Amino acid sequence: MDMVQGNPLLPQMARVEERITETGDTISLKFSGPGSQPLLYRPGQFNMIGIPGFGEAPFSFSSLDGADGTFVHTIRVAGNVVLALHRLQPGDRATFRGPFGAGWPLDKARGKSVLVIAGGIGMAPLRPVVEYTLKNRDSFHEVFLLYGAKTTDDILYKEQLADWNEGITVLLAADEPRGELLLEVHKGVVTKLFDYVHVPLAETITFACGPQVMMKFAAARLILDGQSGDDIYVSLERRMECGITHCGHCQLGAKYVCKDGPVFALADITRFQDTLL
Amino acid sequence: MDTSYSITANDLYRWVDSLVGRFCVLGPVPAKRGQNAFVRIDGSEQLDLSYCSTMTSPRCFIYPSVQQLFEIDREANTYKTIDPGPARTQLIFALHPCDMHAVTVLDRTFLGAFQDFYYAKLRRETLTVVLNCNQACDKGFCSSMRTGPFLRLKEGFDVVMTSLGNEYLLESGSDRGQELIETAPGVQAARREQLDEKRQLEQRAAASFTKTLEIEGLPELLMKTMEHPVYKEVADERCLGCSNCVLVCPTCFCYKVIDKSDFGPRMVERSRQWDACQDYGFAEVHTGNFRAPQQARLRQFMTHKLCTWLEQYGCFGCIGCGRCMTWCPTGIDITEMAKEIQNDPTRQLG
Repeated sequence: MDMVQGNPLLPQMARVEERITETGDTISLKFSGPGSQPLLYRPGQFNMIGIPGFGEAPFSFSSLDGADGTFVHTIRVAGNVVLALHRLQPGDRATFRGPFGAGWPLDKARGKSVLVIAGGIGMAPLRPVVEYTLKNRDSFHEVFLLYGAKTTDDILYKEQLADWNEGITVLLAADEPRGELLLEVHKGVVTKLFDYVHVPLAETITFACGPQVMMKFAAARLILDGQSGDDIYVSLERRMECGITHCGHCQLGAKYVCKDGPVFALADITRFQDTLL
Repeated sequence: MDTSYSITANDLYRWVDSLVGRFCVLGPVPAKRGQNAFVRIDGSEQLDLSYCSTMTSPRCFIYPSVQQLFEIDREANTYKTIDPGPARTQLIFALHPCDMHAVTVLDRTFLGAFQDFYYAKLRRETLTVVLNCNQACDKGFCSSMRTGPFLRLKEGFDVVMTSLGNEYLLESGSDRGQELIETAPGVQAARREQLDEKRQLEQRAAASFTKTLEIEGLPELLMKTMEHPVYKEVADERCLGCSNCVLVCPTCFCYKVIDKSDFGPRMVERSRQWDACQDYGFAEVHTGNFRAPQQARLRQFMTHKLCTWLEQYGCFGCIGCGRCMTWCPTGIDITEMAKEIQNDPTRQLG
């Protein structure tokens, strides 16, 4: 991570290259950093993105690091910093500090099957995982994406889903399926999609992200079906003001979500309190 | 601490007066209502070296409650780091071993894997002259936490003094400390009987504690008893969520970041100020709050200091100064709460 002038709180400038409207309340911003060196990061890590006057907030990377040095953050309207970010157009600037955190342990999944469970905006930190498995398809056995949202409109990356389904198994769900996508959208919560697939849990690594209640029930179902808590990884959100273990807000028991996370093996966090909302 | 030196009390005060000419000297003086406080002194006559404790630990001169971070120009897109100072090298005189230990605990946070620029500068440009305690203070339990009553650190400080009545022993913990001692008037090598007296004073001080806490096995016990009813009982009956405990605790480090802009809006000042896990919104995100119940927040304070801090930093967060229980409006005492758990770890609610 680039320590600007020896001060890890000093941010770098990012320029908005592209703005994509994903859903009614969610946009993706493609940023370029300063200089010619591309920003190197791992899926699951995050940036502290900021707007002067509004402060900074943590956002997971939602694309694999581009060879052209750009990086994408998919951002849903939720908070003051985000309201300011939602006004950005190509050419505008924001600041960033990062990459921070531990990413999704993709190496652990090599030679095994991968189960990606995403709920709503939780798909954003998981898209790099999907892209990685497609790019390195031979490294993995079976790959599943179970993705649920409130309505069909809320499903992110709609144009990519059918393409993804060529290389991996994509199943979609919505509480209220409306409208049409190239893929079928089943009615119900994302855990309902378990009924439509057979996942060889004994040799599968699970990566999950979404609303707390979704992660809780998905994990419970997987544990019940025999998957080990060491093989289930979740990405957690917390209030963060520094990203570098100093402001203290993101502490979860003895862990810092900004450094030891945001990705955690379930088995590593069940002994702590105040894990869930 | 290879060589020990001795100085008369009179010469010690002359030494302080010479230091005031060279540094911004921060020492303990009498304050309101029988309290003491660390302030900038202009002369040794202001000092009260018999003080027991202060409301605010002198760590505040290295990690202040408010710190300006950047001056931001929104139009020019520039971020300028604001120099934290100090304008003149600081010297904290006569801080007690617990408070010195607290600074080394904060070092593990701010000078660890990520180095805080502002803390690092102030720490570098602050000298520390510790005064050992010959007697336990009212609510202190530093002997149990192994942070006192005499300094046990081998490094991280500059000078440590021990009062022998009309004379003081001086020992250095660094090259800078050695230099400071050599500038003191009338300094001589300590005599054998003075070193013996120091040892006796330390033993007597260690035996004078009325408040103790058994720390052996405590972190493991607290990790296993997170649902113990004591947290809910104390939270329901006494905790106001006022955050006094956090604000007076010498090792608390949490902060929040604030952006203040002018009416342009063009210039923005980004600063940070102490925050408290006892505050209702501390762990709040858009979709909810991870630590809304009072008992969860009270538990967080106590178990962070006495349990999880060890996993994070390899030492306790609590240095046994007793400030939290002194300044808690309802007298919540984390040593009493710990003892309740130790005495009856499996007690259930109701």
